[in-house]
Amino acid sequence: MGQHSSPRPARTAAEARFRLRRSLMPRMSGTQVTITILLVTLGFMTTAAISGTGANSLLANARQSDLVSVLDDLAQREARLQSEVTRLENARETLLGGDQFQALNEAKSRAQALSLLAGSTSVVGPGVRVAISGNISSSTMLDAIQELRDGGATAIQVSDKDLAIRVVANTWFADSPDGVTVSGTALKVPLEILVVGDSSVLVPALQIPGGLVDTIGSGGGNVSITPTSDVEINSVVPLPGN
Amino acid sequence: MIPAIGLLVGVLLGLLLHPTVPMWLQPYLPIAVVAALDAVFGAFRSVLDGIFNDRIFVISFLSNVLVAALIVFLGDQLGVGSQMSTGVVVVLSMRIFANVAAIRRHLFKA
Repeated sequence: MGQHSSPRPARTAAEARFRLRRSLMPRMSGTQVTITILLVTLGFMTTAAISGTGANSLLANARQSDLVSVLDDLAQREARLQSEVTRLENARETLLGGDQFQALNEAKSRAQALSLLAGSTSVVGPGVRVAISGNISSSTMLDAIQELRDGGATAIQVSDKDLAIRVVANTWFADSPDGVTVSGTALKVPLEILVVGDSSVLVPALQIPGGLVDTIGSGGGNVSITPTSDVEINSVVPLPGN
Repeated sequence: MIPAIGLLVGVLLGLLLHPTVPMWLQPYLPIAVVAALDAVFGAFRSVLDGIFNDRIFVISFLSNVLVAALIVFLGDQLGVGSQMSTGVVVVLSMRIFANVAAIRRHLFKA
């Protein structure tokens, strides 16, 4: 092509278009073949690169440390699920091999565990007694409850000096003028939270920076935490339809 | 004309065959594509400038791809692979824009 055009820029747009058209004319020569091969490769590479990015680009762009933590998570999850499988297989063996009595016991213990979660039975056990005075907002309360749950609390009850409310999965908190509203019941400060669980885990859970003790303390209030060997939670959630 | 058809044939081949890119090639392929595109736009510009030369095009195409891949490879070895590929893509894109602007000026005088 160089041999056909004079080596100078196109002077007019028409000349430029003419050059473009002429360069697109089919001609057969060694370099044309080479260029064609190169462009076939370019087209192929482009589609290959485009289709390659479609799948799992999230992982492809992740850094090595992120990948390691993802892998870690997966391994932990696998271990957890594996132990779950073992537990369920054991339960199945017991149910299949044992008599009716064993099945009944199994069902009873499951009902016991579920009623604890649902808050339909009263609970007695070792735990923590938390007394709160001073202002408390519903979000602080919610954070404290979440911390307690993360700390393995079996049962939680929030009370003022008159009323006691059992905290379960669907319990909600709202701000009220002189305390906190728990599932529609207004509680006045000072409040008391009773928790059944491992006090060596629950106490630090409340004392973490930004946790309940920290927040209430910075608001001028006071929190006292007493580990107790026999916390008694008597309030229950009424069962629907009973 | 034949090279343009070749480009289409390549795209069609890629669409039909669904090639899986080997693992070791994955960081280099996008860079190589951008480098090759730069060479192609440069070729169009030089056609309009009247200085197109087949030999120069072939050599610039291959050397662009190789040098771009080499830079990314070097970056990978130095632990700055992703930054290096970003840099290469930025520079090549700027060249593509400059070339397209020159082509536009030739064709439309604007």
